[in-house]
Amino acid sequence: MIKGNWTRRLVLLAGLAMGVTALTPVYAQDAKPVVIASSEDIISLDPHMLDSNNPTGSAIWSIFDSLVRRDKDGQAQPRLATSWERVDDLTWRFHLREGVTFSNGEAFNAEAVKVNFARMDTAPFNSVQQLHDQTGLTAVNVVDDFTLDLVTAAPTVNMLYWLEEAFVAAPAYITDTAPDVVASAPIGSGPYKFVEWRRGDALVLTASDTYWGDAPAVKDIIFRAVPEMSSRLNELAAGTVDIVVGITPDAAAQANTDVSDVVQIEGLRKMHMGISIKGEQPALADPRVRQALNYAVDVPTIIDSLLGGSTKPLLSIVNPPNNNPDLTPYSYDPEKAKALMAEAGFADGFPLTIQWSTRFDGGKDVSEVVGSFLEAINIKPTYEAVEIGQFREALSSASLKGIYFQGWAALINPSVELVILTCGHVDNSSGYCNPDYDKLVIEASQTLDDAKRQELEYAAQAIIWNDAPWLYLWRLPNIFGISKTLSYEFRADNYLEPYLITYK
Amino acid sequence: MFSFLSKRFLQALLVLLGVSFATFIVGHLTGDPVELMARENATEQDKQDLRVYLGLDRPLEQQYFSFIVKAVQGDLGFSFVQQAKVSQLIAERLPATLQLAAAGFLLALAISIPLGIIIALNRGTIWDFLVTTLAMAGQAAPGFWIGLMLVVLFAVHLKVLPVSGYGGAAYIVLPAITLALQSSARLTRLVRASMLEVLSADYIRTAHSKGLRERVVLFVHAFRGAMIPVVTMAGLELAELVSGAFITETIFAWPGIGRLAVTAVSQRDFPVIQGVVLMSAAFFVLINFLVDVLYVVIDPRVKLK
Repeated sequence: MIKGNWTRRLVLLAGLAMGVTALTPVYAQDAKPVVIASSEDIISLDPHMLDSNNPTGSAIWSIFDSLVRRDKDGQAQPRLATSWERVDDLTWRFHLREGVTFSNGEAFNAEAVKVNFARMDTAPFNSVQQLHDQTGLTAVNVVDDFTLDLVTAAPTVNMLYWLEEAFVAAPAYITDTAPDVVASAPIGSGPYKFVEWRRGDALVLTASDTYWGDAPAVKDIIFRAVPEMSSRLNELAAGTVDIVVGITPDAAAQANTDVSDVVQIEGLRKMHMGISIKGEQPALADPRVRQALNYAVDVPTIIDSLLGGSTKPLLSIVNPPNNNPDLTPYSYDPEKAKALMAEAGFADGFPLTIQWSTRFDGGKDVSEVVGSFLEAINIKPTYEAVEIGQFREALSSASLKGIYFQGWAALINPSVELVILTCGHVDNSSGYCNPDYDKLVIEASQTLDDAKRQELEYAAQAIIWNDAPWLYLWRLPNIFGISKTLSYEFRADNYLEPYLITYK
Repeated sequence: MFSFLSKRFLQALLVLLGVSFATFIVGHLTGDPVELMARENATEQDKQDLRVYLGLDRPLEQQYFSFIVKAVQGDLGFSFVQQAKVSQLIAERLPATLQLAAAGFLLALAISIPLGIIIALNRGTIWDFLVTTLAMAGQAAPGFWIGLMLVVLFAVHLKVLPVSGYGGAAYIVLPAITLALQSSARLTRLVRASMLEVLSADYIRTAHSKGLRERVVLFVHAFRGAMIPVVTMAGLELAELVSGAFITETIFAWPGIGRLAVTAVSQRDFPVIQGVVLMSAAFFVLINFLVDVLYVVIDPRVKLK
């Protein structure tokens, strides 16, 4: 009896093992799927919950289309809209692509866009989606099946930028289907369609046979979550992963193997020590003190020693190519820093709390190195790690103590980059407020003439650079590893577009 | 037996109620969840909409009460962040977690029990010294280090096993060994100590003096007695494994409960946190109960009351 039992169990086990083997698909050499490994899990596949560029964003960019595509240099390109123009100062008109179908057979038209944009403006999606808040969008008017007017409350130069992250899903499907199904079995019109998602493990996509554009070179894509960096690098070296996202500068060389190369690009996120002007240290309200902090820290040396020389100092609070070319990084000049401190009446320095969170790698190291430079101008630093949730609360209420390690933000759009530091803005975590600056920024965001707008933006950049609400550091480097069999141009904003990957 | 069961059941309910209350309160003490859920630059109005949508604008006691009423019906709530049912998120991760826990646990027992007995019987020899030292080193070595070393050896150099991931049988080998090595380091030392204690007990001397054969004394008398503390410890180890081995799951990209929980914490995904903690607590209660039952089987002196 007992024996019989064991035999049965053995047979069962063998069956299980065979089942597992049968589930593992066998691919021909050239049709092998491309595996992309990122540190984080994909959180949700609801296109209107997109809140991180990779991997969630990369997956959504693959399955769905927006009206306008943002290319790697930040320029707007046609996608579901083939062309657009301004009808008047408040109205944008979009001509939509004809003959597009979603992967469930629903047809794409202006009404589909209207349904999606309305959904973005309701809770809970409006706490994640930015289109309405950032553009002042007030009405979506269907002119005919393939013409759409977007009306805003005030003239805006940001419409195209935010449309690039406003994705259009199959309208009947997102309306009639339970939200948990919408978010786990997405239906879009993009180059890839959904096959399978094992949460926390892998998302499998395959090229969509109904896609309106050219078929992608890579047919099957697998997004894998591999949280540990050394595991991602080991997978790359073993050839079981083709693209690795999220490598720290100290480990960059490990992505160079027999089968893979490392790719380093300067990212877009502007790392800085925010200076809390209304915090516990009143001296920070004096712009001379804030300039002194900038002169006191040797940023290029920190980049070389902590980041392996993988990036460069910030040139402005606006990313290239829109930065004011007359501005240059603060030089490392401790004498000048001391002089400014003395001029402001703080020759003997003051105590200063330096805070960081787990949001960005190396917060503790950077804080301590910056602190040691500041000690040279008599500042007495104390260090404090802050839990990420509390850190974010302090950021949005501009209530950090002294200076704090932070990065903002992965985008190329001068208007959006500048608005962050206007008085009382929700992202203005340093509490900086200068009415002259605000006037320039608001005027620029409503100036439709390109040359005139650039002039206003340059002026605003110059003000903020000298007022120094940040201790300017560097652009967060993005480091990738890629198989030698593939070629792909990585983006500075960390989105991946697998349909642009080609075989060498 | 019946009174034992009903008493245990009531205790379990109380434990689960206490756990749910504690997670609820602690979760709400650590900051406004909406701050983390909403995008970094959401307006106050967006955040308020979200509070209303999630029911976070209601009084705390009302939020807790509605959570309990739904949980009793098997509905652990809806994760706004992931747009998914919590019960489904847990159910998806459970197979991976249980497979890894079972494999790691059985392997740990298979290593530690024979090894512990052998070195107890050869106390003071070079083998005893070697194994005890090794076990101590195993207990002191961090799990992530053991895991990474195994990967470097078997996956990168020898290329006989996959680096990480979840799938066929090959994927479970390294994470299971990583878990088992840590557990078995603790268990081996416990088996040895417990065995030595039992071997010097009066009833073993009696068994010897009755003229029983050495093998019978060892495996019938001594072994059962020595297993009592081991069962307690092993029960705790298993309960811990089932509630998610976060570090091992992270190194091997294993889609288990531990990673689900840690991701949920960093996103203030309250429904998921509460669900996972409740589930882990339920497993602890269940395994404790099984341990109690096992006592009766092993040790005739113990009676269920």
